[in-house]
Amino acid sequence: MILVVHRLVRLVVVLLVVTFLSYGLLNLLPGDPVTQILGISATEEARAQLRADMGLDQPLMVRYADWLSGLLSGDWGTSYISRVPVADELAERLPVTLELLVAAQLVALGLAIPVGVAAARRAGGALDQALTAMSFALLSTPVFVLGVLLILIFAVTWQVVPATGWTPISVDLGWNLTSVLLPAITLGCGQLAVYARLLRADLIATLQEDYITLARARGLSPRRILWRHALRPSAISLITAVGLNLGALIGGTVIIETLFGLPGIGRLIVDSIFSRDYLTVQGGVVLISVGYVLVNFLVDVVYAAVDPRIRRA
Amino acid sequence: MAGSGTAHLRPRDEVLLQVENLYVEFPAGRGRTVRAVSGVSFDLAKGETLGIVGESGCGKSSTARALIQLPRPRAGSVRLDGLDLTSLRGEALRRVRRRLQMIFQDPISSLNPRRRVREIVEEGPKVWGRGALDVDEVLEAVGLDPATAAVRRPHEFSGGQCQRVSIARALVLEPEVVICDEPVSALDVSVQAQILALLEDLKERYRLTLVFIAHDLAVVKNVSDRILVMYLGKTCELAPSEDLIARPAHPYTKALLAAIPGSGLDLPPADRLISGEPPSPVDPPSGCRFRTRCPRAAERCAREEPEIRPVNGGDHYVACHFPDL
Amino acid sequence: MRRRFGAGFWIATAWISLVVAAAALADLLPIPGYDETLVGPPRSGPSAEHPFGTDGLGRDVFSRVVHGARVSLGVGIGAVVLGLGLGAPLGVLAGYRKGFADAVIMAVNDIALAFPSLVFALAVVAFAGASLRNVLIVLGVLGIPAWVRLIRGATLSFAEREFVLAARVLGVRDRRILWRDIMPNVAVPAASYAFIGMAVVIVAEGSLAFLGLSVQAPTPTWGGLINEGRTLMETAPHVVLAPSIVMFLTVLSFNLVGDRLRALTDVRQSGLEPARQSAPLPAGPGAEPVTGALLQVDDLRTHIHTPRGTVKAVDGVSFTLERGRTLAIVGESGSGKSMLIRTILGLLPAADVSRGGHVRLEGDDLTRFTPEEMRQVLGRRLGTVFQDPMTALNPVRTIGTQVTEPLRVHLGMSRKRAREEAARLLASVGIPDPARTLGRYPHQLSGGMRQRVTIAMALSCGPDVLFADEPTTALDVTIQDQVLRLIHRLREERDMAVVLVSHDLSVVRQWADEVIVMYAGKVVEHGPAEQVFARPRMPYTEALLQAAPRLTDPSHHRLRVIPGRPPDLADVPPGCPFRPRCAYAQDRCGAEAPPLTGDHDHLYACWHPTGSAVAGAPEGAESHGR
Repeated sequence: MILVVHRLVRLVVVLLVVTFLSYGLLNLLPGDPVTQILGISATEEARAQLRADMGLDQPLMVRYADWLSGLLSGDWGTSYISRVPVADELAERLPVTLELLVAAQLVALGLAIPVGVAAARRAGGALDQALTAMSFALLSTPVFVLGVLLILIFAVTWQVVPATGWTPISVDLGWNLTSVLLPAITLGCGQLAVYARLLRADLIATLQEDYITLARARGLSPRRILWRHALRPSAISLITAVGLNLGALIGGTVIIETLFGLPGIGRLIVDSIFSRDYLTVQGGVVLISVGYVLVNFLVDVVYAAVDPRIRRA
Repeated sequence: MAGSGTAHLRPRDEVLLQVENLYVEFPAGRGRTVRAVSGVSFDLAKGETLGIVGESGCGKSSTARALIQLPRPRAGSVRLDGLDLTSLRGEALRRVRRRLQMIFQDPISSLNPRRRVREIVEEGPKVWGRGALDVDEVLEAVGLDPATAAVRRPHEFSGGQCQRVSIARALVLEPEVVICDEPVSALDVSVQAQILALLEDLKERYRLTLVFIAHDLAVVKNVSDRILVMYLGKTCELAPSEDLIARPAHPYTKALLAAIPGSGLDLPPADRLISGEPPSPVDPPSGCRFRTRCPRAAERCAREEPEIRPVNGGDHYVACHFPDL
Repeated sequence: MRRRFGAGFWIATAWISLVVAAAALADLLPIPGYDETLVGPPRSGPSAEHPFGTDGLGRDVFSRVVHGARVSLGVGIGAVVLGLGLGAPLGVLAGYRKGFADAVIMAVNDIALAFPSLVFALAVVAFAGASLRNVLIVLGVLGIPAWVRLIRGATLSFAEREFVLAARVLGVRDRRILWRDIMPNVAVPAASYAFIGMAVVIVAEGSLAFLGLSVQAPTPTWGGLINEGRTLMETAPHVVLAPSIVMFLTVLSFNLVGDRLRALTDVRQSGLEPARQSAPLPAGPGAEPVTGALLQVDDLRTHIHTPRGTVKAVDGVSFTLERGRTLAIVGESGSGKSMLIRTILGLLPAADVSRGGHVRLEGDDLTRFTPEEMRQVLGRRLGTVFQDPMTALNPVRTIGTQVTEPLRVHLGMSRKRAREEAARLLASVGIPDPARTLGRYPHQLSGGMRQRVTIAMALSCGPDVLFADEPTTALDVTIQDQVLRLIHRLREERDMAVVLVSHDLSVVRQWADEVIVMYAGKVVEHGPAEQVFARPRMPYTEALLQAAPRLTDPSHHRLRVIPGRPPDLADVPPGCPFRPRCAYAQDRCGAEAPPLTGDHDHLYACWHPTGSAVAGAPEGAESHGR
């Protein structure tokens, strides 16, 4: 119980720092939204007026407090550029990014676990060497390079899937899945390599433990030993990676959404950066940061379920 | 046992090292405390070997490290020639450390894998400048060839040879007291005999005073003049080696002896002298800490902690309400 | 060195050197400028003149890729140097000082790690301006938390080692300890992560460039080139492929070098099943099955093929064992005693191991069993207990799941019946409150209790033979006594045979009926325990007995010292393996290996066996007669 309270307190602190840095950093950086809205030719009075209207003449802490209380009450501000409430814009884009993330994780984990287990079962064998080499190559392929290659092969040369575009689930499930397939595979492959390598290394270490040798000495089958005895104690690094790599994955969505033309949060942030739409960028960064912090908080909780030793510590 | 008191200490001017009422504690998380050593006292005369024996968790290694102030004990004093080490700080403490050296249990972990054996042994003299012994001479004294030591690294040596390097590193500074923390526990019987014989030789040659810590009573008896038996951070019994083995007064000492297979001693089976497992040092029993496993425990043992007192005449001391006399 | 790293490492190093050199000398190379248009026909494929072809504006793609390397490598190396330069001191401080400094640094660090860094980098670069300097600083600073964590971890693992404590005891100052003892050890993992870090930064810079947020045109960057090339994908795929492949190879090379460097500090290979099956050793003639014997081991050999040569870990061991008896196998480390048990059970570590000889269990030759048939014997008829109870139980499964598993798998019991039986088993090994213990995890039990649980598991299917490999070595002496008593009692109750492996002669003396002394993979003496201990015939056994201190000896009693050490098993000298250390060795001992012979049931492998009684008078070594 103390542990949960302790972690919750830490969570709140981290969230405060994350939101403050997102707000503060972007506000302190050069680039003036007033100029952006009124153009360079505006008079000094008009500028001052707008600055006061927007609250930009207030001290940073006051503006942050205002903005934060707005965040909490659902008022994320209205974009200077598109005149659309930021919260609405984000809410509309969020499902796309979430679907992409979940699909990518499913691709990555769904393949990484069997690959890792198969490689560890006969470490050093031909299958292991092939799988290890493949995952090493995948690991070294930047996501945009992989994306370009996959588009080149599947969309341009074979034309089995569309290169770009998005169909929401609500419109047509089949088309939706088709449009998410290539992006999810692209995004998931990099993680697949990370996960499979981690799981293989941890499994190999676990398989050298006395309790595995003793399980063999009790006449249990290799399959049972791998899946029932070795997998769970080897999963700790994998779970950590699933949480921590979410950062890389979210970074990846920005690229993927740009590359495949998906209307997600990442794309929105990039577009807003180019149009100097501060409030939208802030909103997007905060949304992503908070989501990331929350997921890692959940990962900590999942640990305890996987490894009883942590429950006590 | 599990007793305190200082009745067994000799006058300060007769001893080289005197440890009084030593307390060592560590945080155990969640605001709890491991009471590793609780009020242990002993002393060493010049040229003497004191053996400290006990099972895991008895606080013998914590005692050893508290002697060299790494980490500093929570309370108590450690006097080397009258100088209280616990009162020293910074540079003064660093200067006094060379007079107390230590040999560790794990011969591999106690040597830096990236340095050559000769560099390891030379480190002390380099730090202290003059006043140290000749490195080659010490290497030879511990049975290592100075020529090969100059070029090899620890992983090229066996466990026994690494332990020789450790010993050389400690000896080259001409320390007054050498603390050996389980120096032979990780070694095979034949290597253990080599190291024990070496320690005995070196002790004579360099007139060393030794604190020898081990869990194996037979090993401790072989090298020690006096033996201190510890249990759960407390003193049980302190006596000259022969006397302690021949006439154990504390029920725990007796159980420890009886549990040694093929000891050749005339003792009842150990399962009649001790039961169960040691309690946690986070939450030690009241009164005598051994009472939860002692067949002789009475109501008084839970209420009152036994004081160390002389028995059998002479210099045999025990902390027990109902000792075997 | 070459063999340790493998060819891939050197190819990767060569590629990195090539790319670095090309980037550094880009202006001096005889190639067109990166922004010169129409040096060739637009969108033309690779040719001798333009090895990577030309882009949509007729610019030389090779030149653009070479110039792009400047940005990628510059940012990659610069950001890592920046991150390492700022992160390493903080990490070392946190790891070495621990306490308050550590708590503060790590708290800040954990918060910093909670940012999704690429998104942040994107926003910062966008608003601060996309220049080489800004990209480098942002990626460098964002790397700091990871560096702090890595360096702290490495420092911590060495700061807790005893050699650092030893240095402090010598009176060495902290600064010198850091430089001489900590830094050299931290340098290898740091170097390995520096290479991997460069790969990460190059990809990150590429991502920014791909989004148009890195160094701006006209300066070419790899990410930017790939982004530009996308539009020509259908007509001139080489424009996008060339920078993609170069970037892939470079990132791969950095990763590979980092990975190989890391492998230096972490050597681990082997899996559940051998990757390659080694051919069995030629079977000897094979002794006739002994009738009435429960377990008969005949000329068992285990040879491990290593780069240094063949290690004969077990070299021709034979014995028979009957019900109700305890056979002890004693020897020092490396004598092959544990390997012998694993060979009998068919649990050899992995690849490159050959086994020869026969193991008969009531007449059935186990060495001819298939893995499937062997699994029917293991656990059911052969039970096993290992040395360290801390590692013998699966930490993430409850005691109940683990104890009931063999009952359910081998005996097909229902979950409910298996739990009842498990509780009964735990009670029989002296565990208080067995029903509650079933629901607990191993870390909640003491070492002694865990060893009782592993014994209960080994006995769950009523085995004929119990193999106990150093069952009490990790336990305190009073707990050791309890566990050995328990094994003895269970042997009597169940009419089993016990094979007890131990390095501790006194344990063997008290609990074994028969003793095998092993040295360098061979049996050097074999006989009834009493006789072997009272009248050892092999000089090694005698020396071992006299080397062990005994309570009945006076203090400062001179122990017998056996000079030297056991032979390297990959290079055992001819003749008797103990000859170099033997006080009684003569010419013949070096020339001819002594056979295992003797009178009656007391066998020894020695040309000049000792004959004196030493049990009462260990000094008797001098009165040795033959």
